[in-house]
Amino acid sequence: MRRSRRLAAALAVAVTAWAGSGCAVIPVGGPFPVDEAGGGDPMSKPFQRMIAVTPDPAWAPLQVVQGLQAAMAAYADDPGVLSTYLTPATAKTWKPDGPVTVIANRPKYDYVGKSDGNQVVIRLVGTPVARIEADDTYMPYSAAVGDISVDFTLVKDEGGAYRVQSVERGAGLLLTMDDVARAYRPTKLYYLAGPPGPSRLFSERRLVVDRVWLRIKPAENFAQTIVRRLLEGPSKALHGAVGSVFPQGMSVRSVRSDDDRVVVDLHGPIAPDELYTDGLKAQLKWTLNNNDMANGRTIEVQLDGEPFYSSDPLVIRADDMREDWLGSNVSPAYYVSRGSVRSLGDDRAGNAVQGPAGQPNDLYRDLSMSDGGAMIAALGTDVAGGGIWVTRVAPDGRWQRWIQGDRNDLTAPSWHRDGTLWTYDKANGAVLRCDPASGRGPERVAAPGLDGLAVTKLRISRDGVRVAVTVGKNEVRVGAITGGGGTPMLGNFQTLITVSDEEIEDIAWRDGERLLVLVRGKNAQSVREIYVGDGQSTELPATNKRLQLISALGQRLLAATEHGKEILEFNQDKQGWVSKVSGDADNPIFSLG
Amino acid sequence: MPPTTTKALRRRTLRQILGGVRRRARRAVGAVRRAWRRSLQLQVVTSTLVISVTVVVVLGVFLSDQINKSVIASSQASAASEAFADRVQIAAALSQEPDDQAKPADPGKSAPADPLDAVMNTITGSGENGSKKRYEVLVLNAAAPGASRASGKVSPRDVPPALRQGLQRQAKNARYDKPLRHQALIRFSGETQPRLTLVIGGLVPPDAGASYEVYHFFPLNDEEQMLSNVRLAIVVVGFGLVLLLAAIAYLVARQVVTPVRLARQAAERLAAGKLDERLKVRGEDDLARLATSFNEMAGNLALKIHQLEELSQVQRQFVSDVSHELRTPLTTVRMAADLLYDAREDFEPMAARSAELMQAQLERFESMLADLLEISRYDAGAATLDLDPVDVRDVVLRAIADSEALAERHSTRFELRLPNEPCMAEIDNRRVERILRNLLFNAIEHGEGRDVVVTVGADRDAVAVAVRDHGIGLKAGEETMVFDRFWRADPSRARTIGGTGLGLAISREDATLHGGWLQAWGQPGEGTQFRLTLPRTAGADLKGSPLSLVPPEIEMRRTWRGQMTPVLLPASGDGAGHEEV
Repeated sequence: MRRSRRLAAALAVAVTAWAGSGCAVIPVGGPFPVDEAGGGDPMSKPFQRMIAVTPDPAWAPLQVVQGLQAAMAAYADDPGVLSTYLTPATAKTWKPDGPVTVIANRPKYDYVGKSDGNQVVIRLVGTPVARIEADDTYMPYSAAVGDISVDFTLVKDEGGAYRVQSVERGAGLLLTMDDVARAYRPTKLYYLAGPPGPSRLFSERRLVVDRVWLRIKPAENFAQTIVRRLLEGPSKALHGAVGSVFPQGMSVRSVRSDDDRVVVDLHGPIAPDELYTDGLKAQLKWTLNNNDMANGRTIEVQLDGEPFYSSDPLVIRADDMREDWLGSNVSPAYYVSRGSVRSLGDDRAGNAVQGPAGQPNDLYRDLSMSDGGAMIAALGTDVAGGGIWVTRVAPDGRWQRWIQGDRNDLTAPSWHRDGTLWTYDKANGAVLRCDPASGRGPERVAAPGLDGLAVTKLRISRDGVRVAVTVGKNEVRVGAITGGGGTPMLGNFQTLITVSDEEIEDIAWRDGERLLVLVRGKNAQSVREIYVGDGQSTELPATNKRLQLISALGQRLLAATEHGKEILEFNQDKQGWVSKVSGDADNPIFSLG
Repeated sequence: MPPTTTKALRRRTLRQILGGVRRRARRAVGAVRRAWRRSLQLQVVTSTLVISVTVVVVLGVFLSDQINKSVIASSQASAASEAFADRVQIAAALSQEPDDQAKPADPGKSAPADPLDAVMNTITGSGENGSKKRYEVLVLNAAAPGASRASGKVSPRDVPPALRQGLQRQAKNARYDKPLRHQALIRFSGETQPRLTLVIGGLVPPDAGASYEVYHFFPLNDEEQMLSNVRLAIVVVGFGLVLLLAAIAYLVARQVVTPVRLARQAAERLAAGKLDERLKVRGEDDLARLATSFNEMAGNLALKIHQLEELSQVQRQFVSDVSHELRTPLTTVRMAADLLYDAREDFEPMAARSAELMQAQLERFESMLADLLEISRYDAGAATLDLDPVDVRDVVLRAIADSEALAERHSTRFELRLPNEPCMAEIDNRRVERILRNLLFNAIEHGEGRDVVVTVGADRDAVAVAVRDHGIGLKAGEETMVFDRFWRADPSRARTIGGTGLGLAISREDATLHGGWLQAWGQPGEGTQFRLTLPRTAGADLKGSPLSLVPPEIEMRRTWRGQMTPVLLPASGDGAGHEEV
């Protein structure tokens, strides 16, 4: 009896509970722990693309050429349509090789001669914007380059429809900026600093960014496209200057999002046991994170779908590799006041540095500070007898002349992060490099790309890979330090910016990939921030004070004025220049750069 | 061994295997059917299972259908509204004047010059800060160069042809307000598996020129996944429900069936003579009342049986007493009658005849009284066996010798079929001889002068004697009645050999006392056969008889007619239920 009563009570409780929860369609209550869903699938970003349509027989010649241009934009996705715009003979021979030419939107199409008949010529006139090379480098055209024109010759086929018989300019594809914006994405690839070769890889725990423009492939996710390009190696600009842990012949099978991690599945002749694992982790981590693909998620590397090491997976956690492989962007700033190097605090002028560099003098100018601020190099004035002078920043430091030469024959010294000092000897047309560790004097560094050029400034980038030089007063070229085995050379020089009616006054590296260029026009000055990878340029707001020298590191940008002897700092928030030190202040310095 | 033989063997083996399988299957089916027929619980559980499966299937299909409809309908509705909003945006963008002032600047940062690009950026989320949409869009204008766009990996090839044709028909008729819907399995480029996709196609009216076909591709993977989960849940729950119902039915049926089963067992025991069998009464429910009634019934029955037994005892005692009491005066009468009979030649013919008659009837009266006394000994349980190992053939021959005189009077001949070996058995010589005599007299009396066949058979366990006549035979049902006391096939027929009407009843009792059987077979016009089967060892259980109850010639005739199954004639009393061969 008691048992049945207990049973009845339990039944009543169960019925009440069921009725209480079952009547509500969505039960209320909480808080409950929530399972993280893992951020969806960021492996591919949304994109749109041109759909090429086959030419309509009723189209006018102008429309056929417009359609051909659209088919060029869609050529990589749908190569079949383009040939339908061409005469059969042309279709057989035409191959879209070579660089892609990017022109401004809405090019002009005009008839050359008559607009009908059996043969019609149409001229396309457009403003050239850039060239996308076969190695995915985006090379902007200088503004000085004039409009380009391309003649399309069309003939009527048997059906009376117009087809393109020849394209005057050649075989390359012609894309508008909109076409590029739809199909290409600027992408940062990360390689290891230092010329390729296993011996160098281990010492250089540093990444160099290689900026390329990758075409989105509809059939694969963009992360896979990025990794595939990373495995192919650096672009021309960094060829020979950077290395990769991935050997030749590697390929990527897939990159997929798996719960809370990104799984990179590789294939190829890689030996997991002899691999420089940290380098691989760094390359993949920064390449995937800085292109918004991994977004701080854990990355797992697999080999042929199996764990990377036969038993253990290779996992790159979000908190792995905390050390800064891209270099520190925080470092004290200095300036020179009456020849004395002083630290520049946040809001006031600081003290002079230790040793002779902190003493007021008029012997040295164009000072430069080595990595960590241990050494200062300067160009000796006429009073000092010219040459490049170096001192340690220490009470017992002493100015020593490392490089002989006339003041006007040498460019301002630039430190490499490996402790060597670089300058350009204009008199001999040679790049000089001084390595204190070797104990030898200055050595000439081969720089075939600079032969015969009037180099006026030379700056080694903070990652120690790139070199920026000004040629005359109108051009900046960027190259790279190539050649391993202790005999470095400068190569891969390409023009970054050319100005007309203006003069380039100073250049300064902001970080590994951005160069600041101080340009003086007739009436105004400007500071341009240029990505050396693809020439994308931003002009910073100007000041009415005349700037002479600039120096930058990370977010900080300092400039010295010409007349007011004042140090200004660019304020990112206010987008304006703020005075930091006024009165006898010159030559702002950050270490390296 | 020659191959044909092997083959034949193999074939036979195969046939045997098949036969075995068939036999086994039939046996299993039979067992199941028997279990079904015998178990109320099984019937209840099976019925519940069948009904609940039907209900669950119907409900599951209905539920699944409803959920399918509502999920698909809601996703279609939201897809249609999203597609509509996008088309409105595209129409608005396309009706704007293109911005000719767009200057070349940094790619990727400036707004696109073509309004179609701008609106596609907004729709697909491919512009800056755009987020990925759950669907893909295809804008198609085959009549204008460079006026077609797609998001993601969709291409014009992925549009179902019927949908495209439908839209083109609408475009021809300038109807722009009826978007079309199509659900199809589409395999997009770069994918190995086709995906279930809802495609909504609509037209955006042009300002000039051809209209834009706008296709939206909505993946239905999630819905499909959800519906398959729901279906799985319904199946699992339904299965569980059916099992639960079966379990409930089992328990409920058990609650009812167990007391009923107990009642059945009690009734069986009661039927077997255990009159003090009673049911336990628990509670006051219907089953308790059934038990009470059963107990009352059993009590009343036991009382009545007891009364009847007493009555029967009184009657038997009365018959026994009467028989005993009659013997003394009968002896006196007999002595007097003997005197009269001996002196009958001195009487007048009439008186002499009377004396003869009296003598004959007195003899009959005496034997009847002896039979009555014998049977009352059986009734009183006083009959005992005087066992000796005897050759049954000798007993048969003695009985035949005793019957010779009667046989001659009826001009009947005996046909003897005796085995060569002795048929030894432990029997009471006197009783068995009496049985055989009875059977022979019976056969002679009803044999109508035809031959009487006497067969003796033996096997390891038993010996049997069959007495066959070719008289008028027995009607159906009379095979058991012949052993009743004072039974007569034709009451109008006179008793010519002075049978008392108790002979076969006593013979039956004699056979039973030996642990044997006495059985009769007969057919109208075919005669009668009685078979006596006795165990070789007294008291051993009989499993069968060495002789067939049905005469061999009758059996053979039946086989010729294709009737394989011999008629089985159950013997009354303890012989009933034994299988006859």
